[in-house]
Amino acid sequence: MVKINVDEDACVGCGSCVEDCPNDVYELDKEHGKTVVVNEADCMACLSCHEICPSQALEHEDIHVAKRLYIDRKVNKALEKII
Amino acid sequence: MEIEDIRGNFKPELIPKETGGDIDDYEEALHVLMKFIGSMSSALEQVSGRGANAIVYQAGKRMGHEAGKLMEKTDDVEKALWEMGEVLGKEFYFEMWKPSDQEGYTIESNGETSVKLLFSDCVVRQALRRTGLPQKGPLCYLLYGYMVGAVEEVMDIKGKLDIDHIGPNACLKTLTIKWGGK
Ligand code: SF4
Ligand code: SF4
Repeated sequence: MVKINVDEDACVGCGSCVEDCPNDVYELDKEHGKTVVVNEADCMACLSCHEICPSQALEHEDIHVAKRLYIDRKVNKALEKII
Repeated sequence: MEIEDIRGNFKPELIPKETGGDIDDYEEALHVLMKFIGSMSSALEQVSGRGANAIVYQAGKRMGHEAGKLMEKTDDVEKALWEMGEVLGKEFYFEMWKPSDQEGYTIESNGETSVKLLFSDCVVRQALRRTGLPQKGPLCYLLYGYMVGAVEEVMDIKGKLDIDHIGPNACLKTLTIKWGGK
Protein backbone atom coordinates (compact mmCIF):
# COMPACT_ATOMS: atom_id res chain seq x y z
CA MET A 1 0.00 0.00 0.00
CA VAL A 2 1.09 3.56 -0.72
CA LYS A 3 2.39 5.53 2.27
CA ILE A 4 1.74 9.27 2.22
CA ASN A 5 3.60 11.76 4.38
CA VAL A 6 2.34 15.30 4.95
CA ASP A 7 4.88 17.92 5.99
CA GLU A 8 2.79 19.71 8.59
CA ASP A 9 5.12 22.69 8.74
CA ALA A 10 4.78 23.22 5.00
CA CYS A 11 1.02 22.59 4.67
CA VAL A 12 -0.92 25.86 4.57
CA GLY A 13 -4.29 24.16 4.88
CA CYS A 14 -5.62 25.41 1.55
CA GLY A 15 -7.56 22.17 0.99
CA SER A 16 -6.57 21.90 -2.67
CA CYS A 17 -5.43 18.30 -2.26
CA VAL A 18 -8.75 17.42 -0.57
CA GLU A 19 -10.66 18.93 -3.49
CA ASP A 20 -8.46 17.49 -6.20
CA CYS A 21 -7.95 13.91 -5.06
CA PRO A 22 -10.45 11.71 -6.94
CA ASN A 23 -10.38 9.01 -4.28
CA ASP A 24 -11.01 11.04 -1.11
CA VAL A 25 -7.64 10.21 0.37
CA TYR A 26 -7.38 13.48 2.35
CA GLU A 27 -9.54 15.43 4.74
CA LEU A 28 -8.98 18.90 6.10
CA ASP A 29 -8.50 19.07 9.86
CA LYS A 30 -10.25 22.40 10.39
CA GLU A 31 -9.08 22.73 13.98
CA HIS A 32 -5.39 22.59 13.05
CA GLY A 33 -5.76 23.95 9.53
CA LYS A 34 -3.82 21.05 8.01
CA THR A 35 -4.63 18.20 5.65
CA VAL A 36 -4.74 14.67 7.05
CA VAL A 37 -4.52 11.35 5.25
CA VAL A 38 -7.67 9.36 5.92
CA ASN A 39 -7.83 6.81 3.12
CA GLU A 40 -4.37 5.75 1.96
CA ALA A 41 -5.76 2.43 0.72
CA ASP A 42 -7.45 4.12 -2.23
CA CYS A 43 -4.46 6.14 -3.40
CA MET A 44 -3.51 5.22 -6.97
CA ALA A 45 -0.34 7.37 -7.06
CA CYS A 46 -1.61 9.66 -9.82
CA LEU A 47 0.17 12.54 -8.02
CA SER A 48 -2.45 15.15 -8.91
CA CYS A 49 -2.17 16.25 -5.29
CA HIS A 50 1.56 16.91 -5.73
CA GLU A 51 0.85 19.04 -8.76
CA ILE A 52 -1.79 21.15 -7.04
CA CYS A 53 -0.17 21.58 -3.63
CA PRO A 54 1.26 25.12 -3.47
CA SER A 55 3.75 24.25 -0.75
CA GLN A 56 5.10 20.87 -1.84
CA ALA A 57 3.97 19.40 1.45
CA LEU A 58 3.16 15.91 0.18
CA GLU A 59 5.34 12.87 -0.28
CA HIS A 60 4.39 9.40 -1.52
CA GLU A 61 6.66 6.53 -0.48
CA ASP A 62 7.64 3.62 -2.67
CA ILE A 63 5.38 4.23 -5.68
CA HIS A 64 5.83 3.47 -9.38
CA VAL A 65 7.31 6.68 -10.79
CA ALA A 66 6.22 7.14 -14.40
CA LYS A 67 8.92 7.77 -17.00
CA ARG A 68 9.52 11.44 -17.72
CA LEU A 69 11.86 11.56 -20.68
CA TYR A 70 10.66 15.07 -21.45
CA ILE A 71 12.60 16.59 -18.58
CA ASP A 72 16.00 15.23 -19.57
CA ARG A 73 18.14 18.38 -19.54
CA LYS A 74 20.78 17.03 -21.90
CA VAL A 75 18.25 16.16 -24.56
CA ASN A 76 16.37 19.41 -24.11
CA LYS A 77 19.56 21.39 -24.59
CA ALA A 78 20.26 19.58 -27.85
CA LEU A 79 16.68 20.16 -28.96
CA GLU A 80 16.71 23.89 -28.33
CA LYS A 81 18.55 24.24 -31.63
CA ILE A 82 15.78 22.51 -33.56
CA ILE A 83 12.55 23.61 -31.93
CA MET B 1 28.72 18.08 -32.97
CA GLU B 2 30.63 15.54 -35.00
CA ILE B 3 28.66 13.59 -37.58
CA GLU B 4 30.04 10.15 -38.24
CA ASP B 5 30.29 9.34 -41.93
CA ILE B 6 29.22 5.74 -42.54
CA ARG B 7 30.27 4.58 -45.99
CA GLY B 8 29.65 1.35 -47.85
CA ASN B 9 27.87 -0.27 -50.77
CA PHE B 10 24.13 -0.15 -50.49
CA LYS B 11 21.35 -1.87 -52.36
CA PRO B 12 17.82 -0.60 -51.75
CA GLU B 13 16.40 -3.99 -50.82
CA LEU B 14 18.98 -4.58 -48.10
CA ILE B 15 18.68 -3.41 -44.54
CA PRO B 16 22.11 -2.06 -43.58
CA LYS B 17 23.80 -3.72 -40.62
CA GLU B 18 24.89 -0.35 -39.36
CA THR B 19 22.40 2.50 -39.41
CA GLY B 20 24.49 4.94 -37.44
CA GLY B 21 23.74 6.69 -34.19
CA ASP B 22 23.65 5.48 -30.63
CA ILE B 23 21.04 5.43 -27.91
CA ASP B 24 21.39 9.18 -27.26
CA ASP B 25 20.48 9.88 -30.88
CA TYR B 26 17.37 7.78 -30.53
CA GLU B 27 16.39 9.69 -27.42
CA GLU B 28 16.85 12.98 -29.25
CA ALA B 29 14.83 11.70 -32.19
CA LEU B 30 12.08 10.62 -29.83
CA HIS B 31 11.92 14.10 -28.35
CA VAL B 32 11.67 15.67 -31.79
CA LEU B 33 8.82 13.29 -32.59
CA MET B 34 7.09 14.13 -29.33
CA LYS B 35 7.29 17.83 -30.16
CA PHE B 36 6.02 17.28 -33.69
CA ILE B 37 3.14 15.07 -32.61
CA GLY B 38 2.19 17.51 -29.87
CA SER B 39 2.16 20.43 -32.30
CA MET B 40 0.17 18.40 -34.82
CA SER B 41 -2.41 17.51 -32.20
CA SER B 42 -2.90 21.11 -31.07
CA ALA B 43 -3.17 22.28 -34.70
CA LEU B 44 -5.73 19.58 -35.40
CA GLU B 45 -7.76 20.76 -32.44
CA GLN B 46 -7.52 24.36 -33.62
CA VAL B 47 -8.81 23.47 -37.07
CA SER B 48 -11.39 20.80 -36.30
CA GLY B 49 -12.40 21.59 -32.71
CA ARG B 50 -13.87 18.61 -30.96
CA GLY B 51 -13.93 16.69 -34.23
CA ALA B 52 -10.19 16.25 -33.70
CA ASN B 53 -10.89 13.75 -30.91
CA ALA B 54 -13.04 11.61 -33.21
CA ILE B 55 -10.42 11.62 -35.98
CA VAL B 56 -7.60 10.61 -33.67
CA TYR B 57 -9.84 8.06 -31.91
CA GLN B 58 -10.58 6.37 -35.25
CA ALA B 59 -6.87 6.30 -36.10
CA GLY B 60 -6.10 4.68 -32.75
CA LYS B 61 -8.96 2.22 -33.12
CA ARG B 62 -7.70 1.10 -36.50
CA MET B 63 -4.23 0.52 -35.04
CA GLY B 64 -5.77 -1.36 -32.12
CA HIS B 65 -7.74 -3.65 -34.44
CA GLU B 66 -4.57 -4.41 -36.38
CA ALA B 67 -2.63 -5.16 -33.19
CA GLY B 68 -5.54 -7.24 -31.86
CA LYS B 69 -5.28 -9.54 -34.88
CA LEU B 70 -1.88 -10.68 -33.58
CA MET B 71 -3.26 -11.54 -30.16
CA GLU B 72 -4.95 -14.72 -29.04
CA LYS B 73 -8.78 -14.50 -29.10
CA THR B 74 -10.49 -14.82 -25.74
CA ASP B 75 -13.74 -13.92 -24.00
CA ASP B 76 -11.97 -13.45 -20.66
CA VAL B 77 -11.50 -9.70 -20.00
CA GLU B 78 -8.58 -10.13 -17.63
CA LYS B 79 -6.76 -12.43 -20.08
CA ALA B 80 -7.39 -9.99 -22.95
CA LEU B 81 -5.99 -7.12 -20.89
CA TRP B 82 -2.94 -9.16 -19.95
CA GLU B 83 -2.31 -9.87 -23.66
CA MET B 84 -2.66 -6.18 -24.45
CA GLY B 85 -0.27 -5.28 -21.67
CA GLU B 86 2.30 -7.55 -23.29
CA VAL B 87 1.84 -5.86 -26.67
CA LEU B 88 1.80 -2.28 -25.37
CA GLY B 89 4.90 -3.02 -23.33
CA LYS B 90 6.71 -0.73 -20.98
CA GLU B 91 5.88 2.48 -22.78
CA PHE B 92 2.19 2.11 -21.91
CA TYR B 93 2.41 0.33 -18.61
CA PHE B 94 -1.05 -0.25 -17.17
CA GLU B 95 -2.65 -2.37 -14.48
CA MET B 96 -6.19 -3.15 -13.43
CA TRP B 97 -7.24 -1.03 -10.47
CA LYS B 98 -10.09 -1.14 -7.98
CA PRO B 99 -11.18 0.88 -4.98
CA SER B 100 -10.28 -0.85 -1.70
CA ASP B 101 -13.90 -1.70 -0.86
CA GLN B 102 -14.61 -3.40 -4.21
CA GLU B 103 -14.10 -7.16 -4.31
CA GLY B 104 -12.99 -8.04 -7.82
CA TYR B 105 -11.61 -5.94 -10.67
CA THR B 106 -14.64 -6.38 -12.91
CA ILE B 107 -18.18 -5.13 -12.35
CA GLU B 108 -21.13 -6.62 -14.21
CA SER B 109 -24.27 -4.59 -14.76
CA ASN B 110 -27.00 -4.45 -17.44
CA GLY B 111 -25.20 -6.87 -19.74
CA GLU B 112 -21.99 -4.85 -19.55
CA THR B 113 -18.67 -5.54 -17.87
CA SER B 114 -16.49 -2.70 -16.71
CA VAL B 115 -12.95 -2.64 -15.40
CA LYS B 116 -10.78 0.26 -14.26
CA LEU B 117 -7.34 0.60 -15.81
CA LEU B 118 -4.54 2.62 -14.27
CA PHE B 119 -2.01 3.81 -16.85
CA SER B 120 1.27 4.62 -15.16
CA ASP B 121 3.75 5.00 -18.00
CA CYS B 122 2.35 6.61 -21.13
CA VAL B 123 4.21 8.01 -24.11
CA VAL B 124 1.21 10.20 -24.97
CA ARG B 125 1.33 11.86 -21.54
CA GLN B 126 5.05 12.43 -21.99
CA ALA B 127 4.54 13.95 -25.44
CA LEU B 128 1.84 16.30 -24.11
CA ARG B 129 3.93 17.42 -21.18
CA ARG B 130 6.94 17.81 -23.44
CA THR B 131 4.90 20.19 -25.58
CA GLY B 132 3.12 21.90 -22.69
CA LEU B 133 -0.31 20.67 -23.77
CA PRO B 134 -3.08 19.62 -21.38
CA GLN B 135 -3.97 15.96 -20.98
CA LYS B 136 -7.35 14.63 -22.12
CA GLY B 137 -7.01 16.32 -25.54
CA PRO B 138 -7.05 14.67 -29.00
CA LEU B 139 -3.77 12.84 -28.53
CA CYS B 140 -5.16 10.92 -25.55
CA TYR B 141 -7.88 9.64 -27.87
CA LEU B 142 -5.24 7.78 -29.84
CA LEU B 143 -4.64 5.52 -26.87
CA TYR B 144 -8.37 5.20 -26.07
CA GLY B 145 -9.02 4.18 -29.66
CA TYR B 146 -6.12 1.75 -29.58
CA MET B 147 -7.30 0.04 -26.40
CA VAL B 148 -10.89 -0.18 -27.61
CA GLY B 149 -9.86 -1.45 -31.06
CA ALA B 150 -7.60 -4.13 -29.58
CA VAL B 151 -10.20 -5.29 -27.03
CA GLU B 152 -12.91 -5.40 -29.72
CA GLU B 153 -10.68 -7.50 -31.94
CA VAL B 154 -9.53 -9.91 -29.24
CA MET B 155 -12.93 -10.43 -27.61
CA ASP B 156 -15.27 -9.82 -30.57
CA ILE B 157 -17.35 -7.36 -28.57
CA LYS B 158 -18.13 -3.64 -28.56
CA GLY B 159 -16.01 -1.61 -26.15
CA LYS B 160 -15.62 1.92 -24.87
CA LEU B 161 -13.07 3.67 -22.70
CA ASP B 162 -13.86 6.63 -20.44
CA ILE B 163 -11.43 8.79 -18.52
CA ASP B 164 -12.04 8.91 -14.79
CA HIS B 165 -9.02 10.94 -13.80
CA ILE B 166 -5.81 12.31 -15.28
CA GLY B 167 -2.69 12.92 -13.25
CA PRO B 168 0.99 13.66 -13.86
CA ASN B 169 2.01 10.18 -12.70
CA ALA B 170 -0.99 8.01 -13.63
CA CYS B 171 -4.38 8.18 -15.35
CA LEU B 172 -7.43 6.13 -14.46
CA LYS B 173 -9.78 4.92 -17.19
CA THR B 174 -12.83 2.69 -17.25
CA LEU B 175 -13.10 0.09 -19.97
CA THR B 176 -16.68 -0.98 -20.63
CA ILE B 177 -17.47 -4.07 -22.63
CA LYS B 178 -20.86 -4.62 -24.21
CA TRP B 179 -21.44 -8.30 -24.78
CA GLY B 180 -23.21 -9.60 -27.85
CA GLY B 181 -20.79 -8.93 -30.71
CA LYS B 182 -19.78 -5.84 -32.65
S1 SF4 C 1 -1.78 10.50 -5.69
FE1 SF4 C 1 -3.82 10.77 -6.59
S2 SF4 C 1 -5.10 9.26 -5.53
FE2 SF4 C 1 -3.21 9.47 -4.32
S3 SF4 C 1 -3.66 11.02 -2.80
FE3 SF4 C 1 -2.77 12.12 -4.54
S4 SF4 C 1 -4.51 12.76 -5.80
FE4 SF4 C 1 -5.26 11.19 -4.38
S1 SF4 D 1 -2.65 21.22 -1.10
FE1 SF4 D 1 -0.76 21.21 0.13
S2 SF4 D 1 -0.90 23.05 1.38
FE2 SF4 D 1 -2.97 22.69 0.59
S3 SF4 D 1 -3.96 21.48 2.22
FE3 SF4 D 1 -3.06 20.01 0.77
S4 SF4 D 1 -1.02 19.54 1.63
FE4 SF4 D 1 -1.73 21.40 2.63
